Amino acid sequence: MLAGREGRRRVILSVDLAARRLGLRPGTPVAKAQALYSDLLIMDADPDGDRAGLERLALWFQHRIAPIVAPDPPDGIVLDTTGADHLHGGEAVMLENMVTRLKEAGITARATIADTLGAAHALARYGRERITIVPPGETAAAIADLPIEALRLPADLIDDLHGLGVSRIGPLAGMPRAPLALRFGPDVARRLDQAFGRQAETIVPVRLQVPVQVSRNFAEPISAAETIARYITKLVPPLCARLEEREQGVRRLDLLLHRVDSHTEAIRVATAMPVRDVRRLTRLLCDRIETIDPGFGIERMVLTASLAEPILHRQGVSALIEEEEADVSDLIDTLANRVGTQALYRFAPVESDVPERAVCRVPALAPEDGREWPDHWPRPTRLLPRPEPIQTMAVLPDHPPVFFIWRGIRRRIRCADGPERVFGEWWKGDAELTTVRDYFRVEDTSGETFWVYRIGDGEHGETGSQGWFLHGLFE
Amino acid sequence: MSVAYAELEVTSYFSFLRGASSPIELFEQAKALGIEALGICDRNSLAGMVQAHVAAKETGIRLVVGCRLDLADFAPVLVYPTDRAAYGRLCRLLTLGKARAGKGKCHLLWEDLVTWGEGLLVILLPDTTDDVCAMQLRKLKDAFADRAYMALTLRRRPNDQMRLYELANLTHQARVPAVVTNDVLFHTYDRRILQDVVTCIRNHITIEEAGFARERHADRYLKPPAEMARLFSRYSEAVDRTREIVARCRFSLDDLAYQYPDEVSIPDQSPQQALEALTWEGAAAAYPEGIPPEVRKTLSHELALIGRMDYAPYFLTVHSIVRYARSQGILCQGRGSAANSAVCYVLGITAIDPARTSLLFERFVSEERREPPDIDVDFEHARREQVIQWIYGHYGRNHAALTAVVTRYRAKGALRDVGKVMGLPEDLIRTLSGQIWGWGRKLDEGALNETGINLSDRRIRLTLDLARCLIGVPRHLSQHPGGFVLTRDRLDELVPIEPAAMDARQIIEWDKDDIDVLKFMKVDVLALGMLTCMKKGLDLLAEHKGQHYTLQTIPAEDPRTYAMIRKADTIGVFQIESRAQMSMLPRLRPRVFYDLVIEVAIVRPGPIQGDMVHPYLRRRAGQEKEIYPTPELEKVLRKTLGIPLFQEQVMQVAMVCAGFSASEADQLRRAMATFKNTGTVSRFRTRLIEGMTARGYPATFAERIFQQLEGFGSYGFPESHAASFAILAYSSSWMKCTHPDVFLAALLNSQPMGFYAPAQLVRDAREHGVEIRPVCINASRWDSTLEGPERDDGLFAVRLGMNLVKGLANEDAARIVAARGDRPFASVDDLWRRAGVKGAALTYLAEADAFRPRLGLARREALWAIRALRDEPLPLFAAAAVVREAEEPDVLLQPMRDGAEVARDYNRTGLTLRDHPVAFLRDDLIERGMVTCRQALEARDRSSLAVAGLVLVRQRPGSAEGVVFMTLEDETAAINVIIWPDMFERFRRVVLSGHMLGVVGRLQKEGEVVHLVTREIVDLSHLLADVGNRSLQVFPDHNQGRLRENIVVKTRNFH
Repeated sequence: MLAGREGRRRVILSVDLAARRLGLRPGTPVAKAQALYSDLLIMDADPDGDRAGLERLALWFQHRIAPIVAPDPPDGIVLDTTGADHLHGGEAVMLENMVTRLKEAGITARATIADTLGAAHALARYGRERITIVPPGETAAAIADLPIEALRLPADLIDDLHGLGVSRIGPLAGMPRAPLALRFGPDVARRLDQAFGRQAETIVPVRLQVPVQVSRNFAEPISAAETIARYITKLVPPLCARLEEREQGVRRLDLLLHRVDSHTEAIRVATAMPVRDVRRLTRLLCDRIETIDPGFGIERMVLTASLAEPILHRQGVSALIEEEEADVSDLIDTLANRVGTQALYRFAPVESDVPERAVCRVPALAPEDGREWPDHWPRPTRLLPRPEPIQTMAVLPDHPPVFFIWRGIRRRIRCADGPERVFGEWWKGDAELTTVRDYFRVEDTSGETFWVYRIGDGEHGETGSQGWFLHGLFE
Repeated sequence: MSVAYAELEVTSYFSFLRGASSPIELFEQAKALGIEALGICDRNSLAGMVQAHVAAKETGIRLVVGCRLDLADFAPVLVYPTDRAAYGRLCRLLTLGKARAGKGKCHLLWEDLVTWGEGLLVILLPDTTDDVCAMQLRKLKDAFADRAYMALTLRRRPNDQMRLYELANLTHQARVPAVVTNDVLFHTYDRRILQDVVTCIRNHITIEEAGFARERHADRYLKPPAEMARLFSRYSEAVDRTREIVARCRFSLDDLAYQYPDEVSIPDQSPQQALEALTWEGAAAAYPEGIPPEVRKTLSHELALIGRMDYAPYFLTVHSIVRYARSQGILCQGRGSAANSAVCYVLGITAIDPARTSLLFERFVSEERREPPDIDVDFEHARREQVIQWIYGHYGRNHAALTAVVTRYRAKGALRDVGKVMGLPEDLIRTLSGQIWGWGRKLDEGALNETGINLSDRRIRLTLDLARCLIGVPRHLSQHPGGFVLTRDRLDELVPIEPAAMDARQIIEWDKDDIDVLKFMKVDVLALGMLTCMKKGLDLLAEHKGQHYTLQTIPAEDPRTYAMIRKADTIGVFQIESRAQMSMLPRLRPRVFYDLVIEVAIVRPGPIQGDMVHPYLRRRAGQEKEIYPTPELEKVLRKTLGIPLFQEQVMQVAMVCAGFSASEADQLRRAMATFKNTGTVSRFRTRLIEGMTARGYPATFAERIFQQLEGFGSYGFPESHAASFAILAYSSSWMKCTHPDVFLAALLNSQPMGFYAPAQLVRDAREHGVEIRPVCINASRWDSTLEGPERDDGLFAVRLGMNLVKGLANEDAARIVAARGDRPFASVDDLWRRAGVKGAALTYLAEADAFRPRLGLARREALWAIRALRDEPLPLFAAAAVVREAEEPDVLLQPMRDGAEVARDYNRTGLTLRDHPVAFLRDDLIERGMVTCRQALEARDRSSLAVAGLVLVRQRPGSAEGVVFMTLEDETAAINVIIWPDMFERFRRVVLSGHMLGVVGRLQKEGEVVHLVTREIVDLSHLLADVGNRSLQVFPDHNQGRLRENIVVKTRNFH
């Protein structure tokens, strides 16, 4: 069962056969379905993924069956098989094959061949048979008995027509045109005409977006780093030129180096934003040359923009007083391609009193959200990755320790501030329901300042074990 | 060493969604810790002060009345009035701020505080020690001199001690004394989590995103004085100063003296004299043949009592309100408490003739307790606002305001709000809270288990636990339905007044219990739908049939009316129309008015739980002897055959048999009314049983009487209530019996009210021979009307009004009616052009089939025509619109199946004049072995059978211990179904959600009362959904598509 949002409610969007047998239908609120059957398998619907999948499937059909293919979202694909069926053993065999192939791939499909796109669309969804072939000229009879939902009309229009008692295509087609158009606009007539073939409808076929690729063969295998770098400088400009035609920039760039021993070496660079700058891309690639093992030499280099995105042009600074913000994305790309994106991050504040949770990592180029750490409370310059237990002596309930021993060194405390009482974030886990930490800023006789805390508030047993820890250093 | 300390900064949960403890919890904790006084300072509010006052008295801890003011241009301050005058100024100040800011908010400036600050001690609550703070401190010193203080509070945050040190320095510089406070938000430390939750609710955020919105200063609970002294050992003089402030604040809520408004119109006349004059004048008018000596005696007695208690102004006030309503032709009727008096009768406040009932005035006006009397007056619900605005105008807005109702969390709301805070998905919250019936105060796991939701999930468990803690916590103030407080002196010097959510209303910060404590006078100006209905009915009667009646002059004791009541033919009638009442009527068999009074009183949780119903019925049927051990008791209980049925009888029994004084008896009633005082009830038990045995009653008899009283609790009616209701029950029955046409029209025009939906009312009227005509664009008005010609039996036809049409706005209907005038519309186009309403409004009418009666257009034809209208011509179709309709080719639309017409009728007007929906399903039902309700009603007792029908009413009365009553209706009749708790648990989901159910069960007949006791329930809602695809015609037309319209039956749920 797939679920998704419809306004503020979570409703079922589609169900499989088993769920349909239980009586679940699209449109039912998820909570109601769960109340009825507690062991439902619910997955979130992914409309974008579905659309992409449909696109891929359309490409496959284009490859195998006929040149003019288009996805018909949300759940269909249309093909113009005119002149292609004989290649597949006739119409019936062709449809049979298509449905079978899809079934093997785990897709339940229905297929129809008709004179018009509208009729085929209708019969594939509302017809009785799994496979339907409408002989030429019999379209009108074939679809007359189908419900008007099959006509690709907006849902509210369908509702209104139902309200008037018109529920099948035949009677609708039989109604006089002018009054219909007056009441329901031109859509009804257009869809009818399309279905009956009185109005032409073209299929806009899918086109494979071939990635931009440039290559170079070498008569003489190359292997020196400088040579590779030189050819990189030669490959990047044409690539950028072709990207410019498409108004795109590179997010991911693959350089394949085919060695004479038929091994392939590869360099992949990624950028934080679409880039088409020759110098930048060249440098990013050249930075990685050292990772290449040229072996006995490289005879072919292929540079592919395997992920490209449209570049949004931004107007440059026009006013003289305005200062252009420094663009660090170049630097970030360079760093990320050396150390990896995961290793590159920025700290951002989190509103939490628990010190280790007061910070989070965000991507280097994440937008500022205006949040800052409160600055009126002193916080240690260095926070230990995990608090380290210390031995202390302190007077209950709320006095700072007199001394403490950390990593074998005993420090006498000269002055202290505290306690700062930090409560566990009770919603995060049962362990934190009652816990309390009492933080003290303590200064030892040598003038070093530490951040120590005691688990528990010194009064109520359930707040903690009263053990002491060192959590940070002031410098 | 014992330290003296008073906590001066305490926030109770009356700082809504901020504090987390009730006043009584705070005071009890203070007592346990040895804190000698608490200063309650809620935010810009005194809402919790009376409760704190009560709690302080109970615990013996001193309450210092105070308030925290959040000023817009200054640091927050605590203010403490030193005396009554200063308190009055504080109230004025708060009233001012609230009037400025609107409901629930307060906007005050520093200069307001200075203006109204005389006699107030002001404690500055500093944040950081900076120049601003120093400057504010200087300003404070200048304005308040020796009444200025600054608070020292430990926050458990970094630099605490430094901050205190610097603040103390500042106070020295400014020569403003420092005082220690602990900024308490809850009474014990473990309320911290609940406090986080209410903070999130207040800010509409989830706990995950709460971040620094949570209260960041730790340890906000009450601490023992010794601990406070230890924490502030460096500032011991600031600790001691708390007591100084307590000593300086001498004001207590006991100082508030309430004054009745003046009602004297003649100079030099005292209120008592005015009341006496009015009373005798009224008495002479009420008894034209001379005042009966009994009544004269009662009147004198009551007047003397009123005089001793100084209550004359109260009666005068009620009298003048009622007199105003009468002058405007607004129906009203008094009831309750002090209305039990002969004085009220002769003043026209009530309609209960003291010559006919023995009344117990003392019950409400008890001399020892000096509690103010209480009279509720019901008005027509449609015109009550007029009375309310008159009261504001007459007494002045500074002297009159509605009491507040403290809206507290109930199970459902608590679960919903906590669920949101915990970040549970909306639908999960809805599913969980949907399992709670009505106004539950409990969250029981059993009901929630049913949902199939994993309750052991940490987050859900936490939600349920926290929701349980939240139940009973006040959420906000809202307005009482009609409880007015009226004063002679300025009301806003007694209590802050705030604007209410409704326009032109204002409320005080205290609820009715609070003003009871302070002995303020309250008049309840309530709304009653049946009064509206009767008023409309009487007007229709006068207009169409030329018969002029008032409530008082409706023919009394009409035998035909009683015959109808005895048959339990009472759908639509006031009070006696409910299932329980209807099943009692054939047993009680009322013949005179007093029987109706008993009928109204007996079907109440009190008499039912006190097991008084069956003994009464047995005695009435002569199957059991009435026993009166003593003649005094006989005097008290004779009119109810020896069984105490009314509240005052309970008290009289205590007085007569056990020697209680009147006020003791009143205490007994109050003790029974409140659950928590179980201890006090048992104290009365010993007192009652001992008193009775001492007077020679057998111990077993005494024990039985006590048990009856205990079961009775507060759930009984006083006789005057019952009598007032009985009058309405009788007059509405009379209307139904003699003028069913008028009655139906009046009822339909007063909806929503009562137990039944329009569909049942219309059906019932049809069964009584009333002709009902459908909604029609050429005949209907907004309200339902009577249409001639008058038939031989004196009945008019009822034309349903356009107010039944779903979605249609009143203005659109009014325009249509106005445009129609005397010239009926000739076509859809004509209507559209002349009335100038949008096509959408016409669509509502077409869906309701209003074009058929006169224009002969079926739903689809009308819709077809309406679709062609263009409210705003589209450019493309500008040319097409010119084409006259007549020139269009004819379009033949499929007629709807009759089942579909019925479904649409139901969904668009809530009723149908065609066949009942179940009639379409009869074949299926026969196949399933189900009989009609009519057959079931006529079957033998104890026979097993199955019926099916629409669920009209679901009811789970509190007195019935989990039993659910349900009313099913099919095309023949309605039948009552009883579902025992185990059955309910088994079929919970079906019972709660099914629109149409089939019930297999055993018939139980008690005389004419028939119930079906459930053994099995099937959900037939899917069948009901199919009605639109059915037809009763012999040759149904198969050429149609399936209708996708479900019948929506509005089931009414009662608790």
